[in-house]
Amino acid sequence: MLSSDVSTHPHIEDRAAGAALHGAPVARFRRGLALGFPIFLGYMPVGMAFGILARTMGFSVFAAVVCSATALAGAGQFIALSFLAAGAGPVGVLIATTVVNLRYVLFASTLSTYLRDTPTATHAALAFSLTDETFAVNVADHRQGLATPASMAGVGAVAWTGWVLGTLIGAVGAGWIGDPSRFGVGFAMAAMFTALFLALAEDWRHVVIGVVAGAIVLGLPLLGAVGLRLEPSWYLVIAAMLAASIGAVVWREG
Amino acid sequence: MSQTTIWIVIVGMAAINFAVRFLPLTIVSRIDLPKPVARWLSFVPISVMGALVASEVLRPGGVWSNPLTGPSLYAAAVTALVFRFTRSFVGATVAGMASFVVLQHALPLILS
Repeated sequence: MLSSDVSTHPHIEDRAAGAALHGAPVARFRRGLALGFPIFLGYMPVGMAFGILARTMGFSVFAAVVCSATALAGAGQFIALSFLAAGAGPVGVLIATTVVNLRYVLFASTLSTYLRDTPTATHAALAFSLTDETFAVNVADHRQGLATPASMAGVGAVAWTGWVLGTLIGAVGAGWIGDPSRFGVGFAMAAMFTALFLALAEDWRHVVIGVVAGAIVLGLPLLGAVGLRLEPSWYLVIAAMLAASIGAVVWREG
Repeated sequence: MSQTTIWIVIVGMAAINFAVRFLPLTIVSRIDLPKPVARWLSFVPISVMGALVASEVLRPGGVWSNPLTGPSLYAAAVTALVFRFTRSFVGATVAGMASFVVLQHALPLILS
């Protein structure tokens, strides 16, 4: 539903959401758990893939789980593994994962505009669980006027659990799970992003900006043909920053 | 690979990942952003999502392929329709994954 009425008239669609808006932090937290459940579904299999891969790279089960539990960085963790596999030293690995995760500076800055009167400890907790997916779910929820620090913590908790549990299962069962792609998990993230795109598209301006970002991200790899090779992890950041800039220039008012 | 290297990477990644998320969040929430910057930030989420959808659906795995012969584009359409009518993230995600698995097996038969 690409309607703007969601943001201008935040009509509460179901009783649970209504209760959450006025209810106790615990109720909001539980609402966040439910909101984040698709992330759980998406993270479990990808976490499993990380667990399996980490084991083949010489990580112990404990190391693989601690890595997922403390970093909570999907792409960053996979890139760390591939750099380690290529024989890079710790400094090279850390620089690579930092570059991939620089997009979080952008996400955190955006999210911070919703968290003005929130204590620093809460900032820390929400920053810890900030990923592409929790960001998108919380922004969509905020557009409906429903997001609170408690609901965001719920989203983060269920996402974290999916990622860590998936890693544990993958690391323990590395030998006999085999290829997790036969469960359609290769499409889990794509499906979630598709739904989130529709949820975030407030009006036609957003659709235009989103399509522009998509066109840029697909166009950037083509620059390789003219000799301008970029690190693939930069595609997303460059496309998002350019498209948002175009939007901000074209629609100066409102 | 040495366990020392692995643990240096794990601890370093934890520290860096937390810093890039926490510092902007807590610093920017304390300052009044100029209006143009705030507006720019308000367009960031939809841009990120547009870029993510485009690369995941049209260039899965970072490799070019014909979107009309693969399952991703059709599965994305199913996902979008389910979300459009149910507003359910779980329902849309599961429907997308299920249609992806079915199409993965059915498309080669249909197209051959």
